[in-house]
Amino acid sequence: MRNFSRAAIALLAAVAVATPAAAQLTAERILHASAEPQNWLTYNGGYDSKRFSPLTQITPANIRDLELKWIVQDQVFGAWESNPLVVNNVMYVTERPNDVMAVDARTGRLFWVYHYTPAADSHVCCGANNRGVAMLGDTLYMGTLDAHLVAIDAKTGHSIWNTEVADHRAGYSVTMAPLVIKDKVIVGTGGGEFGIRGFVAAYGAKTGKQAWRFNTIPGPGEPGHETWHGDDWKTGGASAWVTGSYDADLNLLYWGVGNPGPDWNPDQRPGDNLYSDSVVALDPGTGKLKWHYQFTPNDPYDYDSVQIPVLADIDWQGKPVKAMLWANRNGYFYVLDRSNGEFLLGAPFVKVNWSKGLDQKGHPIMTPQPAGMPTWPGVQGGTNWYPPSYSPRTGLFYFSVWENYASIFRREDSQYVAGRTFPGGGQSVFAPVPSSPTIGVGRKGPINNWTSDVGNGATIAIDPHTGKRVWTFRQYDVTDAGMLTTASDLLFTGGREGYFYALDAKTGKELWKTNLGGSIVMAPVTYQVGGKQYLSVISGHTLVTFGLRN
Amino acid sequence: MRSAGVVAVFLIVGVLIAISGLARPAFAQVSTQQYSTANIQAGYRLYASQCALCHGGNGDSVAGINLAHQQFRRVSTDADIRRTVTSGIAAAGMPPFQFQPAELDAIIAYIRSGFDLDGASFAVGDAARGKAIFDGKGGCTACHRVHGSGSRTAPDLSDIGALRKPAVIQRSILEPAAAMQPINRPVHVVMHDGRVIEGRRLNEDTETMQLIDRDGQLFSLSKSDIQNFELGRTSGMPSFAGKLSTAELADLLAYLLSLKG
Repeated sequence: MRNFSRAAIALLAAVAVATPAAAQLTAERILHASAEPQNWLTYNGGYDSKRFSPLTQITPANIRDLELKWIVQDQVFGAWESNPLVVNNVMYVTERPNDVMAVDARTGRLFWVYHYTPAADSHVCCGANNRGVAMLGDTLYMGTLDAHLVAIDAKTGHSIWNTEVADHRAGYSVTMAPLVIKDKVIVGTGGGEFGIRGFVAAYGAKTGKQAWRFNTIPGPGEPGHETWHGDDWKTGGASAWVTGSYDADLNLLYWGVGNPGPDWNPDQRPGDNLYSDSVVALDPGTGKLKWHYQFTPNDPYDYDSVQIPVLADIDWQGKPVKAMLWANRNGYFYVLDRSNGEFLLGAPFVKVNWSKGLDQKGHPIMTPQPAGMPTWPGVQGGTNWYPPSYSPRTGLFYFSVWENYASIFRREDSQYVAGRTFPGGGQSVFAPVPSSPTIGVGRKGPINNWTSDVGNGATIAIDPHTGKRVWTFRQYDVTDAGMLTTASDLLFTGGREGYFYALDAKTGKELWKTNLGGSIVMAPVTYQVGGKQYLSVISGHTLVTFGLRN
Repeated sequence: MRSAGVVAVFLIVGVLIAISGLARPAFAQVSTQQYSTANIQAGYRLYASQCALCHGGNGDSVAGINLAHQQFRRVSTDADIRRTVTSGIAAAGMPPFQFQPAELDAIIAYIRSGFDLDGASFAVGDAARGKAIFDGKGGCTACHRVHGSGSRTAPDLSDIGALRKPAVIQRSILEPAAAMQPINRPVHVVMHDGRVIEGRRLNEDTETMQLIDRDGQLFSLSKSDIQNFELGRTSGMPSFAGKLSTAELADLLAYLLSLKG
């Protein structure tokens, strides 16, 4: 009897949790992500990657009533660059190297943790990062440091299948969050510093079997192969380590492609080196290339084009255009027509001296600096992989920039050895006093002893129609933080200093801030549980969630 | 008996380590060692082609070794490096290298410079004599502090040998203003409440600034409370160019390089 009543209570509880919202995450729901703003269904919140939430409960008027709701602590050291998903009241977030946590989005308590141990001889250039999972049905998908793709049961946290994407011993890895389109899971590979030949590939969501592969460096006989000489294409890099975007109406998948290899010696790989430093538009059903646009040909500066393609339908000189907004690591902001890749606008958003401008087609007019002289922007770029945001309400495009920051690049011949770095030289950050401290690729610690003489960070808003800045929110240290905007015209971001900011998206005015104490190296997300809006952001080793005071 | 024997062995080993440690810190050679810019640059080319494959571009790819930071497992003096490179270490997989004596000098210069490709020529003398200069004739402790003694007006140098490359330290001694790092520039702050703080920055972010004043007092200021902020471009430190002989400079450098925290 007693057992029976317990079972009955358990049943009742299960029914209570299994509200209609707990319906399976279908491909159709992901396509219409903006119709369910209580959830955060893809890496960038939806296929258009605007990172704009229609939620309006948190406003400029009540922003000072935000309070801490819960914290989840990371169990491992190192930058925490993961972007959570929130689906039906459960948050799914990864931690280093390849763990997934399922967290109650209201309380921060864990349902389960999935552990995956990547091969000990995995290679990554810049930290054992993982940027998150994708979801379809009751299954989560995660790429791994040893270049596998794993499917995980979202209810139990146990693996369903595990597919090798590429050979990690050759320097391949997967650090990005996969993207689900229809019945396929799409990933790109890292390894641009190891002489890989990059690719984007799709896998059957049920089977884990590869459906197609698009090589980001065309092989013999394929168009674009002529932009490489000899065997350079075999080790030419062109990784694809950040999640792409998708336009269902045009049936095009957009993906940013990384630097050519060796990184800093273009003399060792003459030619434009397609499709390095490009955006490619692919048929998501077949992986066939529909168009491409290259930002930096024959790149000597490691200007990966691994930014998020942000898809916005805007008015362009009196006509509606399906645009793609892109602030590139090379220091230029671009507007492209995403139906055909046509160049509409390009303008520098930070100091640029590697090029003196763009021609009519948007090709850069290269102005390489003499050996030993500084190049702006520096090796980490005017911006980088940090997710930007576009608000259809303000019509502005928001992203993190590194200003007044330069590097001195050095070219050397590198010999390719499988699995080893293939740098082709090196670089040092330009400092006004030789050998003084400089900004690191990652945060070096809580002390800023390089000072703003070496560069500074900022959050900026650009009007896509002009390419000009509308406002600048200057930060002292540089920032790797991504953006979140909401329909209350709030912009949420952070930086290496650990401040979490709410800015007025129209003016850039600081409305609220709190010191979370650790670097914010990913974008915040927002969601709703039980009718209440929450904001989550990762700072250092903590995932912090805020909500309005009860 | 057995226990006593073990203790005795430990003691002897300990004493030996202590003696060898005293006799052979990384830079305390008996005679002054010269490292020229030409040799450093030649050494870089040899290093990049012959050594970097295993030791890495930064000199830290072999566990327990960081060549640029003078951290070694088996060697200490320049003669040790010369011997190890020439004969190799079969057990560790390091092959013997057939270098000319001048090439060996160049590789050693590159390592001793801290991989400072752009660094000036420098010489390293005797650390003990250098300490005497630091505490005495140089008058360095009037502003600097080492291991708890000296003033806090200027940066504490207790670990300067681990932080800075030899040519950079040498430049700070000879051209303090030109070599001064931006964080160490003197600041003059006037607060809205009228307080004036003179010192140098320890840290700064978008909203705040942390300072130490000339008396060693720590301040953390909100930028919104600051009325006026001035950053000095000159250093309070005098140049020692012409005030120290070449040998004295080499000794002082040896002492500063020996300060590893």
